[in-house]
Amino acid sequence: MIEIDTSSFIPFYEQIKQQIKTRISLGIVKPGEPLQSIRELATILIINPNTVARAYRELEREGFIYTRKGKGCFVTDDSTALIKKERTVILNQVFDGAIEEAKKLNLSSSEIKKIFERRLGLKTEVRKKGERK
Amino acid sequence: MNGILTIKNLSKSFGKKKVLENFSLNIEKGKVYGLLGINGEGKTTLIRMIMGVIPPDDGEIFFKNKKISFRDDSYKKEIGFIAEESIFYSWMPIKELLSFNASFYPKWNTRKANEYLEKFSLDPKTKIRYLSRGMKLKLGLIVTLASEPEFLILDDPTSGLDVPTRHDFLKEIIKELSEAGTTILFSTHIVHEIEGIIDNLGILRFGSLILDEDFHELKNSCMRILLTSEESLGDKLKFDGIITQKTNGNQSELVVYPWTEEKKQLIENLKPTSMEIKPLNLEEIFISFAS
Repeated sequence: MIEIDTSSFIPFYEQIKQQIKTRISLGIVKPGEPLQSIRELATILIINPNTVARAYRELEREGFIYTRKGKGCFVTDDSTALIKKERTVILNQVFDGAIEEAKKLNLSSSEIKKIFERRLGLKTEVRKKGERK
Repeated sequence: MNGILTIKNLSKSFGKKKVLENFSLNIEKGKVYGLLGINGEGKTTLIRMIMGVIPPDDGEIFFKNKKISFRDDSYKKEIGFIAEESIFYSWMPIKELLSFNASFYPKWNTRKANEYLEKFSLDPKTKIRYLSRGMKLKLGLIVTLASEPEFLILDDPTSGLDVPTRHDFLKEIIKELSEAGTTILFSTHIVHEIEGIIDNLGILRFGSLILDEDFHELKNSCMRILLTSEESLGDKLKFDGIITQKTNGNQSELVVYPWTEEKKQLIENLKPTSMEIKPLNLEEIFISFAS
């Protein structure tokens, strides 16, 4: 379910965009499947149809969805790869931030690597335990 | 002028009470204009003048670039109007009310009226006096939308109704917007409901608009600033655009419009120990400007 947060810095059309991308990446809507029509989504959210249209227009320009005349908007085959790429960029920024914090603490590269490997190991172990259950 | 409705320097007094003074407004085609104001600020008076129910003392109203003169009814066929208490002929059955309206409006859409009757489960044989308030609102909606108006005026249409009925109403308005791109003047007391719908926001106070802005730009430039400091900043926070200010010991809270990099610098120069910048939703914007 898409929700609009009226107390956010993020404009409404951008919130819709982001949530549709999340729905695609979680496989709630799969490549080739249709999105709700602009009118449907606008009516559910009680939001100006122009706002939804803008979100869809931008998703189309960025290659996540395509329009079939008279049929509506559909998820592209490339969408999941595009989202993964986009998420990787965000992930890189998160790592950059962590490295910067580590440098503030005067940690050496090998120390940072050790921390990273330990965290990664911890997470993998937790997952393994979970799987065994 | 690309406005569908343009109002210039409108004034109206009742006895000694000035309700509107030099009121000006422009609504562009295809836009949804949200008009807010606390009770008694003159929203309904304004709408009654637009609808030609009462004459202004001074000023001009243009509909589609044509000046409206009082007692000229021709433009009213292109305007749809829904108010809290729509005036209906209570003795009429629904069917008669619809055919009565069909003869008045040149663009009347019978198919649309019938579809809505079915959708809202209204029996055309029912007399209007037997309808509940929610049903009357829906009937008002049918009459208005079937007339295919270019311009829609909503004067607090949903006040006093329950949430599901209000939502049903708003959903139909959204549907109409997406199908016909109707221009809307939306006045309401249930402020948060129109937050996602409006393109422009006007706040009526002291007889004219104290705020008249593109709503999306307004949301980006009206901010709540939360400050903590070692000493009270209360007296030092002085610059243009402080809409509200509260200081409590070493904590201050401001609503600033427009919020700029320059003002941020001014505050940073006062060396607060922390500064938090938060956006406001429509309800908070309204409270800040109206109080």
